[in-house]
Amino acid sequence: MRAGSAFLAGVGSAAIVAIGWQAGVGTLVSALPQSQAAASGTSSSAGTSNAATPADASSQTATTAPAPSGPADGTYDGSVVNTRFGTVQVQAVISGGQITDVIAVKLTDADRKSVQISQQVAPMLRSEVLTAQSAKVANISGGTYTTQGYLKSLQSALDAAGFTG
Amino acid sequence: MTAPSRTTQPVRRGSATSERAQIIKRGYTARLRRGDLLETIVYFSVAIVLALFLADGGAAYFVNIKDVTTGLGIVTGLIGSDLLLVMLVLAARIPAIDRTFGHDKALALHRKLGKPVLYLILAHMLLLMIGYGISQGINPIAEALDMIFNQQDMSIAFIAMGLLILVVVTSLVIVRKKLSYEFWYIVHLLSYAAILLALPHQFTQGMMFADGTWARWYWMALYVGSLTAITIFRVIIPVASSLRHDLRISQVVVEAPGVVSVTMSGRDLDALRAQGGQFFQWRFWSANMWWEAHPFSLSAHPDGRSLRITVRDLGKGSSKMLSLKPGTRVSFEGPYGLFTEEARTTTKAVFVGAGIGITPIRALLEASNLAPNEATVILRGSDTTDVYLWQETYDLCVEKSASLRVLVGHRPRGVHTWLTAEAYGQGESLLTLAPKIKESDLYICGPTPWTELVIRDAKRLGLKDHQIHAERFDF
Repeated sequence: MRAGSAFLAGVGSAAIVAIGWQAGVGTLVSALPQSQAAASGTSSSAGTSNAATPADASSQTATTAPAPSGPADGTYDGSVVNTRFGTVQVQAVISGGQITDVIAVKLTDADRKSVQISQQVAPMLRSEVLTAQSAKVANISGGTYTTQGYLKSLQSALDAAGFTG
Repeated sequence: MTAPSRTTQPVRRGSATSERAQIIKRGYTARLRRGDLLETIVYFSVAIVLALFLADGGAAYFVNIKDVTTGLGIVTGLIGSDLLLVMLVLAARIPAIDRTFGHDKALALHRKLGKPVLYLILAHMLLLMIGYGISQGINPIAEALDMIFNQQDMSIAFIAMGLLILVVVTSLVIVRKKLSYEFWYIVHLLSYAAILLALPHQFTQGMMFADGTWARWYWMALYVGSLTAITIFRVIIPVASSLRHDLRISQVVVEAPGVVSVTMSGRDLDALRAQGGQFFQWRFWSANMWWEAHPFSLSAHPDGRSLRITVRDLGKGSSKMLSLKPGTRVSFEGPYGLFTEEARTTTKAVFVGAGIGITPIRALLEASNLAPNEATVILRGSDTTDVYLWQETYDLCVEKSASLRVLVGHRPRGVHTWLTAEAYGQGESLLTLAPKIKESDLYICGPTPWTELVIRDAKRLGLKDHQIHAERFDF
């Protein structure tokens, strides 16, 4: 290969990798250790592959009519969120104006690794949510897709319940 | 091409020569550019694989120490698969590649990639056994067993790994001539099985084909493209071409003890665009030969009605050539090779041939466009039975006003040289035999160790790689 062509091939290859890096930088940020992500105060939604499913409106399974003063007690289904590693859906249990439990109906399970991550991440997310009384908690590193699906589904359940924190 | 003018004015001759020089130079530059482009595509394909991995959040694997092994395992698997498909494309006999690098160089690169690709894919397997093992808290062996017995498509992926190891090992062994060609060929077909068996786990376990990603499209295009290329250029075109040209043996002539020329005729042979210096993979449909295919060079530039090869009794396959009868059907793959006029980089040329290596040299000389006194032909034989086709070559040299140097006899004892003892004793060398060699293209064909010695001498004279064209008869 001639020197000029080799140079162009090298620069071109570097540019391609750089573009890939740039495109992936959002997911990288959300995968940073918790403390950093928490410090920025957001649960990142930069994972662009996560397709939200707004059409899938939350349904309320609770029989109690919502009281005007706040969310009614009951169990609320979150929307089904598609992620690359499988669909995610959770239920929020509201009691006395508080989130008292989050039940995982379906978690990422596309491959074994995903199942493993789901099993690790779900309990951590549940306890964080119960502590924060909100779906706005930090991303769990290494479980970005699960986290995003989980929190998105939870948020839709809370919206359905009229829960504002 | 420019016909030599009757009125031999020096000025006119000079301009015709420089015009020809320009045409050759332009062809050479175009070939270099094509070569650089194809090489760049290979580098880009690796870069794209990395970019897709990063775009998909792959960098996240390198944030936490415990995920690094897994990340490296994925990257090695991706690059390994990419280069495995590059190997497939290199062996697919794609005309653009053959005409740019030559069949032998493309296959040399294919061979050179074999071991690194195996190591990358082995690393992929081992790193993921360790990486997933760490995250599950079990040892790599237990992890491997868990993958094989519990994970979808992983058992066949391990079989694919085994096949790949078998293919590379047999290829390395055959280089040392310990296995028969046919055995190696059958084993090599297993590489397709390996690629297909490895495919499902990339769907179900990996992220290569994850829905809604660019990676999915890239990998699909790569797999479909390379497998299609193989099917078209190694199966469909050879079969269609053999049927269309309906080649049959028309004449078998004994040239010397153990040496036969086989002439074959067929329909529309012009359409093959075969050139002197090229070879085909031949299959003769006689009762005792139909199952084996042989690579033989043309020994005459095709005239549109017939093709001729000249074969020496080298192995068991070649000796059966003597029993071939006129009328026998012949199927073929080809023409292949860049040991042709197309490879020229300058107007002057030196052709060196030894033994049966004379066949492509003779055909190439016939096909070459040479101005008077621009070419030198050096023929080397060990005794007087080793001089078949020399008369024809002599006639061509006269026709093209090329110098012919003939060296007959054994090589000197204890000296590494391609010359005869006599020529060596008289102080002959490439430079004395072909005084213009430094500004010529050098075409060499003969036994591999002998060829290496000619190349060594040429390089000592300062010839550049692009000036040296050596036909190698290995597969």
